[in-house]
Amino acid sequence: MSRERNPLLTAFAIAVYAFLFAPVVVLIVFSFNSAKRGLAWKGFTLDWYPTLLSNDELLDALGVTLQVALVAVLLSTVLGSLLGLGLARIRFRGRAATETLLLVPMVTPEIVMGLSLLLFFLQLFDGRGSVAQLWVAHITFCISYVAVVVRARAANMNPALEEAARDLGASAWGAFRYVTLPLIAPAVLAGALLAFSLSIDDYVVTTFNAGVGSSTLPLYIYSKVKFGVTPEINAISTIVVAGTALAILAAWRLGAFRSEGRTVIDDDEGKPPR
Amino acid sequence: MTDRYDGSTIDLEKELVRYMVERKLSRRELLERIAAVGSAAALAPIIAACTTGGAASSSGASASAAAPSSAAPATASPSPTPVPSPEAELFIYNWTDYLAEDVIKSFEAKYKTKVTQSFFSNTDEAYAKLGDDGGGYDLSFPISVDVPSFIEKGAIVKLDKSLLPNIKNLGTEWANPGYDPGNTYSVPYMWWTTGVGYDSAKITDEPTSSKALWDPRWAKHISMLDDFQEVFGLALIQLGHSANTDDTGELDEALALLKEQKPLVRTYSTDTITTMTSEDVWIGHIWGADRFAIQEINENVLYYIPEEGGVKGSDTIAVFSGAPHPIAAHLFINHILDAENSATNTNLIYYMGPNAAAKEFIDPAILEDPTINPDQKIVDKLEELLNLEPALRDEYLKRWQELRA
Amino acid sequence: MSRLARLRGTALVLPGVAWLVLFFVVPLAIIFVVSLGQRGALDRIDLSSPNLDNYARAFDPIFLPTFLNSLRYAAITTILSLAIGYPIAYWISRYGGRRKALLLILVMLPFWTSYLIRTYSWMIILRDNGVLNSLLQAVGLTHEPLILMNTDVSVILGMTYGFLPFAILPMFVSIDRLDSNLLAVGRDLYASGRGVFLHVTLPLTMPGIIAASLLTFIPAIGDFVTPDLLGGPQTTTIAKNIQELFLEGRDWPYGAALGFILMIVTLGGTLVALRTLRREVVGS
Repeated sequence: MSRERNPLLTAFAIAVYAFLFAPVVVLIVFSFNSAKRGLAWKGFTLDWYPTLLSNDELLDALGVTLQVALVAVLLSTVLGSLLGLGLARIRFRGRAATETLLLVPMVTPEIVMGLSLLLFFLQLFDGRGSVAQLWVAHITFCISYVAVVVRARAANMNPALEEAARDLGASAWGAFRYVTLPLIAPAVLAGALLAFSLSIDDYVVTTFNAGVGSSTLPLYIYSKVKFGVTPEINAISTIVVAGTALAILAAWRLGAFRSEGRTVIDDDEGKPPR
Repeated sequence: MTDRYDGSTIDLEKELVRYMVERKLSRRELLERIAAVGSAAALAPIIAACTTGGAASSSGASASAAAPSSAAPATASPSPTPVPSPEAELFIYNWTDYLAEDVIKSFEAKYKTKVTQSFFSNTDEAYAKLGDDGGGYDLSFPISVDVPSFIEKGAIVKLDKSLLPNIKNLGTEWANPGYDPGNTYSVPYMWWTTGVGYDSAKITDEPTSSKALWDPRWAKHISMLDDFQEVFGLALIQLGHSANTDDTGELDEALALLKEQKPLVRTYSTDTITTMTSEDVWIGHIWGADRFAIQEINENVLYYIPEEGGVKGSDTIAVFSGAPHPIAAHLFINHILDAENSATNTNLIYYMGPNAAAKEFIDPAILEDPTINPDQKIVDKLEELLNLEPALRDEYLKRWQELRA
Repeated sequence: MSRLARLRGTALVLPGVAWLVLFFVVPLAIIFVVSLGQRGALDRIDLSSPNLDNYARAFDPIFLPTFLNSLRYAAITTILSLAIGYPIAYWISRYGGRRKALLLILVMLPFWTSYLIRTYSWMIILRDNGVLNSLLQAVGLTHEPLILMNTDVSVILGMTYGFLPFAILPMFVSIDRLDSNLLAVGRDLYASGRGVFLHVTLPLTMPGIIAASLLTFIPAIGDFVTPDLLGGPQTTTIAKNIQELFLEGRDWPYGAALGFILMIVTLGGTLVALRTLRREVVGS
């Protein structure tokens, strides 16, 4: 294999990033559209941004969305990573059943999952929809995704590494912390990223489990469709993307994620040639 | 005047109640029977009787998983006698942009009550969530034809009219609607028509019939609503049948007609504001009020109610039996019934309300628009889409799914 | 393997399994019970005489075309996502250097905007007088606008777009842990880069490809919003039918039964495919 950059591959990668960002560019451009609704460009305006700041319903929904996503990502990443790791590495009774169990939430039509949780909370807890109910729902549909990704990383992982660490006197926790965790870290990050995007975009399951005061951004936006989506929604999407992009950039400048992509068995191969 | 069942009160009520109770008539059968005897204003006590039946069946169903409230309250119970000092909060379940911001703000200021709105994007989802007592919300805006089943389920309560002095503002034609005689459980909010919108720059021969939606010249530039009752309603009316027919032969005819149209259709969508302004669609089956938003973007788009007749509908406001804040809910309804507030809402959303006193505050352009405020002659040709009885609904849905497959 | 190791395995999976049993299996069991009932008066659920009638009823030929649509869209979406995603995942892993995590986050960033608004942006791009048609006409490739919106093309494009990150991320994590020593050995063994790729890289990254297929194909089968928004009269999917039975038909038992049939078919197919793939490709 060639160690040099492959220009064809790089060109392809740039094209794919362009594909991924094409609708985002359109979305941002249309947040400055003076037409109140619709797909046609009518003129430039900055009006939607100040309007946005006085829209309490929209801002409340954004708050709930981010809060639910945060909790869902944290818990589903922990639970899912452990599941993925356990499935990849250790044979235990009920492994096949666990594996199947992990797939079932993914094959379940969203409406079935949404209504099943609605009935569950209603029957057992007289739950009428709440932020807490959304936490549970979102964690539940995120777990499988995290587990599948982590499992892919940990598959074929050599258990001897961790055993060696134990032999060298590391505690079980120490071996996990210093050997296993760095090895699966990229997968944990990837799983968390997927969970985050699943959570902040979920509509069907959320609609049946939200209650008074726990409307999320997707619920707000979908409800808008009856009267056509306004550039206000583009504006809030722009702010969210710009905000996250800035935060990530700042974190990266401060040195976060830089070592995440490396593994204990990595050598210089992964680094770009000088 | 949108009420199909209106008529003079005939004292057949008791007869009908007995019939109902003894023979356990379905609501549709009942309506047919009423139509047969030429009166429809006699519904209220029948609905009360239904409620008793409903309560019985709800206790039977409380063992079932889907009765969303184990304590389905009997609606027959006397409404509470609240004192007019509202609770500190009010939970509204609503469409977005269906209430003017100013109207909510003035209510909050006047009563020191914080209003929290939750939004739904279609009534089917909303109804699934509301269950038998409103699912924790205080009030919502059910479609008029669904009001009887809400009453039957015990989901909404009898309104305390002493808290609704502004109800006097309603036009006389709204005093006694067939779905809820005497506005006992609900108050009408807004009404609308469904018809055809077209881009007059592309289609210049001024269509007047719904058959224009079958015109091969506009192939791949035609849109239909993604709503089985609306789509079948349009086809059925074009064929000269009732939009709510229970004749499966007529339904098959409608299906054949729609299958003929399908290759010409660009999309089935309820977001007509987007489709009609996308320039991909030149002529579409749309909800009348949407055309104002459409015209803001493309002023060439015109709207008509098909000459064969069209569909109309209305929304109501009702208070749920499980409402945590019933007094605030009543006061809010009263607030909406205020002439100026009602006009503010109409001027925002371009739907005509039932509020006679509001007329002087409504934008004259809306009042004079024959498609929002049509002639009585046209109104008479409009038909309301009924809440179909389940077995019949299945017949419609099955054909709809066959059409869309 | 020692008993202790077994116990540790159980301890790893136990919290997740417990969570899924409590908040997924139990609720699902409730819906299963519902599927045995009938729609009663006022659209309530009548469980007085549970039976399997709804399941028998759900094998209705009218659901076949929509099921095939779902299957077709999911298959094409998966293949495209893998074909586009693998080179990108490979590129990030091999050439990303210290920017790997950043590049990965960039893949996800577009998906932190609203799904609906992204989809509307595609409409802006794809409509008759949209961005793409204007471009094509400007460069003289076409003279008349192509009808792209409300066709299979727009549906597949929208779905591939939506599921691409779900393919890229798992393949990245798998490619990224390739042992470069193995690749070096491979280079000695097979002279060509192609040989190394086919005989070393590809088999070793199979777990990632399998995970990517799972995360793309399964959710794609259940997708109905994209075909609904970007599609046309011919693009209805089975998940849309299920949604309609629940919400418009208000027949929860019937909707649930059709949902369960879809789940069993998808799950069965997935498990068989997984087993075959793992045996054939990964080896044991």
